[in-house]
Amino acid sequence: MAKILLVEDDNLVRDMLTQVLQRADHQVVCATNGEEATDYLRKEAPDIMVTDIIMPKKSGITLISEVKTRHPNLEIIAISGGGRLDPTGYLDLSESLGASVSFEKPIDNTALLMAIDLLLHGNKETSEKH
Amino acid sequence: MTCRQSLHLEQANNELKKEIADSTLIKESKVKLEHALLQGQKLQAMGTLAGGIAHDFNNILYAIIGYSEMAREDVEKDSQLYQNLGKVLEASQRGQELVSRILTFSRRQHHQLDALNLKSTIETVLSLMKQTIPASVTLQFSMETELSIFGNKTLLHQILVNIINNAVDAMDGEGSIKIDVTRIGANDPTLQQFPEMSAQNYCKIEMSDTGHGMDKATIERIFEPFYTTKEVGKGTGLGLSIVHSIVKEHKGDIAVTSELGKGTTFTILLPEHQQ
Repeated sequence: MAKILLVEDDNLVRDMLTQVLQRADHQVVCATNGEEATDYLRKEAPDIMVTDIIMPKKSGITLISEVKTRHPNLEIIAISGGGRLDPTGYLDLSESLGASVSFEKPIDNTALLMAIDLLLHGNKETSEKH
Repeated sequence: MTCRQSLHLEQANNELKKEIADSTLIKESKVKLEHALLQGQKLQAMGTLAGGIAHDFNNILYAIIGYSEMAREDVEKDSQLYQNLGKVLEASQRGQELVSRILTFSRRQHHQLDALNLKSTIETVLSLMKQTIPASVTLQFSMETELSIFGNKTLLHQILVNIINNAVDAMDGEGSIKIDVTRIGANDPTLQQFPEMSAQNYCKIEMSDTGHGMDKATIERIFEPFYTTKEVGKGTGLGLSIVHSIVKEHKGDIAVTSELGKGTTFTILLPEHQQ
């Protein structure tokens, strides 16, 4: 079981992912944008942060670069459905800033849960895109 | 009137005719160029819009897929509900493929370009297509000389596959598709139909079918994304807009001529690569 910070502005995706993670026995805390995530990380230390990229107030890209400076050991999973750019463009950038794994939406949730398990058990995968 | 005066008048008359012809040609080229620019801007705007829609749609699809998978975990595998949820997932899969095609159109990706032998590139596609099209459709290919272009093989395959598939649909499973490839020089009159092209050598790929053809209104909109004459569920209206976008990415141009009941010809110009 891991303590996971889920940062996602889309409530449908956020609620669905919360259930998926809880069903796999993980403890989930949600934030709706990068600012809320930063506030939470000042007080708590999750095992893994799963973050969307395009969000209001503070984007996932800014969040990842800040988090990697302040909490270098926090494992990060980036997720994106793209925007003006190809999603892989955002995801490549997030990995270059320190995300361990990245996924393009719609995500294969089984692969996401496997990635979480691998990160928890120290088998860090880099550059694994789905 | 003396013979000399008559000669002068005839000469003046000929010069005037030439001037009028030149002026008409310039006007026609200007109209074509303006039309091409407008078309380009329209396609670009639609691409930006499509990219935005695709992003939101990916989130929506992800929620539908995620909830359906969880609901499926909670019901008996032999129940009707389990099967119906499977259909929701199947439909979502189709939506996902559609979004992927929309993104292919809207993204301006950087593609690796290489010197390509046009003959072998076309032959590869034709050998694959022959296995998928009905036996009653014949594919003919002729190429007068070896030609090379500087392009992306996968993208060129997409051009050919899309046009051949459209031709097969237009022929209701019976007829012939002819592909002719020729080199045209910098002074070739064909270039007058393509005012955006510069004076240089091009490979001209003509793809003709004996299908039902198109009317003028359809031809006008044929490269617009989401424009389709096919039945609902049979076409996304993206194939030819992708073809247009790929040809432009290769610094080429594409034109279409068609006659109802007789067939359609796509003419593609791609700059020749001098090795």
